Amino acid sequence: MKTTKKRNVEISVKTINCNEAKPNLQSSLLDYLLLLGMIFSVYMLTLQPAHAHGEKNLEPYVRMRTIQWYDVQWSKQKFNVNDEVSVTGKFHVAEDWPISVPKPDAAFLNISTPGPVMVRTERYLNGKPYMNSVALQPGGDYDFKVVLKGRLPGRYHIHPFFNLLDAGQVMGPGVWLDIGGDEADFTNNIQTINGQAINMETYGLANGIFWHSFWALIGTAWLLWWVRRPLFIVRYRMLHAGLEEELVTPLDRNIGKAILVGVPLLVFVFYTMTVNEYPKAIPLQASLDQILPLSAKVNAGVVEVDTVRAEYRVAERSMKLSLKIKNGSDKAIQIGEFATGGVHFLNKVAPVSQQHDAESVVAAEGLSLDNPAPIQPGEERAVLMTAGDALWESEKLDGLIKDADSRIGGLIFFYDTEGERYVSSVTAAVIPKFN
Amino acid sequence: MSANLSTGTFRPYTGEKARIARAYDYLVLVLALFLFIGSFHLHFALTVGDWDFWVDWKDRQWWPLVTPLIGITFPAAVQAVLWTNFRLPLGATLCVACLSIGTWIARIFAYHYWNFFPINMVMPSTLLPSALFLDAVLMISNSLTITAIFGGSAFALLFYPSNWPIFGMFHLPVEAGNSQLTVADMFGFQYIRTGMPEYLRIIERGTLRTYGQIATPLSAFCSALLCTLMYTLWWHIGKWFATTRYLNRI
Repeated sequence: MKTTKKRNVEISVKTINCNEAKPNLQSSLLDYLLLLGMIFSVYMLTLQPAHAHGEKNLEPYVRMRTIQWYDVQWSKQKFNVNDEVSVTGKFHVAEDWPISVPKPDAAFLNISTPGPVMVRTERYLNGKPYMNSVALQPGGDYDFKVVLKGRLPGRYHIHPFFNLLDAGQVMGPGVWLDIGGDEADFTNNIQTINGQAINMETYGLANGIFWHSFWALIGTAWLLWWVRRPLFIVRYRMLHAGLEEELVTPLDRNIGKAILVGVPLLVFVFYTMTVNEYPKAIPLQASLDQILPLSAKVNAGVVEVDTVRAEYRVAERSMKLSLKIKNGSDKAIQIGEFATGGVHFLNKVAPVSQQHDAESVVAAEGLSLDNPAPIQPGEERAVLMTAGDALWESEKLDGLIKDADSRIGGLIFFYDTEGERYVSSVTAAVIPKFN
Repeated sequence: MSANLSTGTFRPYTGEKARIARAYDYLVLVLALFLFIGSFHLHFALTVGDWDFWVDWKDRQWWPLVTPLIGITFPAAVQAVLWTNFRLPLGATLCVACLSIGTWIARIFAYHYWNFFPINMVMPSTLLPSALFLDAVLMISNSLTITAIFGGSAFALLFYPSNWPIFGMFHLPVEAGNSQLTVADMFGFQYIRTGMPEYLRIIERGTLRTYGQIATPLSAFCSALLCTLMYTLWWHIGKWFATTRYLNRI
């Protein structure tokens, strides 16, 4: 009796202590939750949409020596829902394709968008329409055109880019596009070969919902048939009491038999009906389009360039290229631009028709020559070309010296006195100079 | 619990006990619903993945091979638990219904509202006819072997024909860019997916060329054979997973 009384006293003491501790605990928990809530609120308020596409994260040698974009232009940058806009441009597939990047045997010219805010209605390579992927040839020159149609209003940063099989994405120059209007106005109609008009936004949706609902109804009925009875504990006890026959009744078995006959029968009937309704259905198409390169646009044989040596001055953030240039044209030429990895270094001395790429990747005065005098017809000259700008760092191209394959590749644009342009590719191993 | 009860000593629950047992049923059902919506949907998305996400991935060779093979996993495991312990022949239908709920939620909210794809482009396939058949075979046969062979096979064989009424119309031919495409291919071309270039699609790649254009039945029968094995494997995984071993120590 005494022991019981003592225990009761102990319990009541413990209870009192617990009761005292409770408000403190609740208060600390509340403080902690409030702090978490504040941090989360600040985080949410400062959230910014991401506008990049990881283009700077791709290793520099891949950006420099795979797809070399130039002359990329958009027909307009402000348009409305349902308006068409096209992006055109050219690219050279580098001859010095990196050994660690699989050859571009399957490449897909794509558009980087945050989801299908536009739809792609047409796409051309070298003037030929194509719908699938394509094999590109190293050393080949191509021009492209992609026609898009505004679907969702908003302001988007958009690039044309190539998906390369087993290699990843190589971005072209990006621009901001403003799509105005009302998304409810968007229409996208196509026609089948038989002439049936199709609204791509809604085609087949009601039919799909119907069939899903049909089978969902039967499935739900089957589930409810069992769930309406006592389930787990009761059935477990009955099963172990040897009352299995009461758990699955003859009616249950008959329904099961009906399912075994009825479900395959229904499936077969509905399948046959659909086959008869769409007798012209064909399998999905997945061919690789074959499009040959254009006649040479880069290294076309008029101006020959041999890269002797390339040095990257880390402290100066400049690339020095020793070049041997032979002018095979009948007019004097000047180097107007050096483009690599999406960055354009312009020679302010030469007249250059600036490309319509994003301004942030143009070094307007980034290119200089040891001898700025024009190269005369037939002349062969050794030239030291310096491409220097902070863009090497901000575009993360200076990481080249830390790449396993630290070779540079790019395009040099020459202009003659009448504005004729000659393009040559350059490539060389890069020697870093750290001071 | 009452493992040693015999028919003679069995007393059904009444009153408060019966009410608590029923409340327990509902509690387990609700938990199971969320568990299977989440886990089976995740499992399905990570394994069947693009074949179920996109209308232009649903080819006649790989789609009917991969989808039932992965789709039979959770149903087999849950059937093992529910049939062995409770004689409830609803494991497959329950799992597949949860999968359907999960996929529809994901397609509407993640793919349509969040990423702007039209829902018809990302409509999921259905496995409900296959699941109903699997449950019925188990109930009638009360046999793992028969269910694995006949139920597993039917699970795979019923898949393609039961989905053709949904997706057949997406295979109408369209002329675009001087080539023949299906409506489904047009979805893939028009609605831009930056991370999903066309060449990633695994469409009729393989060595079934000998049989010409009857790839679907061959894939379906191949899937049927594999499903019998997959069913058995996951039945045992389900039985192994459903243990009270650790609860006994509490």
